[in-house]
Amino acid sequence: MIREFTKGLFKENPIFVIALGLCPALAVSTQVVNALGMGAGVIFVLLGSNIFVSLLKNFIPEKVRIPAYIVIIASFVTIVDLVMQAYSPSLSSSLGVFVQLIVVNCVILGRAEAFANQNTLGNSVLDALGMGIGFTLGLVLISLIREVFGAGTITIFAFGSFDGVIEIPGLSESPARVIGLATGALLVMGYLKGLFNWMEAKRAGERGNSASDGAGGSAA
Amino acid sequence: MKIPRLVIVGGKLALICTVAAVVLALVNAVTAPVIIENRERALAEGLAAVAAQSGVAGVQVGEAQPTTDSQVVTTAYPMTSPGGAGVGFILQLVGNGYGGDMQLLAGYLENGELFSARMMENQETPGLGKKAESPAYMLMYVGHGAATRIPTSKNDLPAEQVDSITGATITFLGVGRALAEGSGFVKTLGVEPAGGTQ
Repeated sequence: MIREFTKGLFKENPIFVIALGLCPALAVSTQVVNALGMGAGVIFVLLGSNIFVSLLKNFIPEKVRIPAYIVIIASFVTIVDLVMQAYSPSLSSSLGVFVQLIVVNCVILGRAEAFANQNTLGNSVLDALGMGIGFTLGLVLISLIREVFGAGTITIFAFGSFDGVIEIPGLSESPARVIGLATGALLVMGYLKGLFNWMEAKRAGERGNSASDGAGGSAA
Repeated sequence: MKIPRLVIVGGKLALICTVAAVVLALVNAVTAPVIIENRERALAEGLAAVAAQSGVAGVQVGEAQPTTDSQVVTTAYPMTSPGGAGVGFILQLVGNGYGGDMQLLAGYLENGELFSARMMENQETPGLGKKAESPAYMLMYVGHGAATRIPTSKNDLPAEQVDSITGATITFLGVGRALAEGSGFVKTLGVEPAGGTQ
């Protein structure tokens, strides 16, 4: 059962392995604080939609399942949007239109269609948490690289007298601005995807070696 | 009597939509007053922050005066010194950005010179157009509008400032054009704060 949670973190990471939700991932990953806010919103919506799709899987008619999922997802997104506007207006302003665009985030509709409507409530909750946290980790990693190299800063939540911006000496004066632009987003995404592919191939190679060692050992 | 399948399917979907609408209505009932309060507070803070840059101690911001003949200038707030002399105007402006309308607050002296501007509600791209929310961003426009025109093109900027708008040219143009129209609007008002804004 725990596999349903852990698979979304690395093995089936929605951004680097399944390659879902790339539009918002690339668009909001200019600052770490945006990635954290977007990630929290996606986790909440994914959790809510997976729970309700799993609970209603026998009630929702097959022919209208996609409109029904969209209504459920859009409701949770609207709740996130209204709550953010009311209680965290700065984060709402910072994320802009991308909060509403969670409705069409492929990760959420994909998990509702591919997992929650065929699995138990418990597994659907674990799947949502794993995929949501995996999406957030991917988003934070991309945004960390883009913000550090593209702006020379790390922006997190402000508290007390701290304005939330950590300036990196040497980089903040002359950053590689292209990394902060759309081109940089695609470059960073491409290199990270390549890294994940290389790690997966290496792991598969090790598994193959150990399997052949085991076969050789038993033959001997 | 057998109920047609279409009615069952449609009824179930309608039921899901109804429950969703009721839940959203409840959430909206709780959050709407807080959102309105946040917007009013943001406007009051914005007006105070812009007025404070006028260079006149104790400047007072008058009542909002809606404008009728401009698509860009939506509201004008006359500013007066403690002695009652006119100082200038703070205008609420609507610019066209990359993500749609951008709400701006801009303070002008009576000769149309911009002394302060602040980006309010907008849907610009995080990390790119959103940089216009930084007070430092508006410095490229401040001081212009009277003797020199407000920048509305990259060619109007010194080379060292062009980098700061890279990736968000549409935001820069939208802000510049709105601020330039605001400056022109103030010049047409003359020295009678209330007369020209009705």
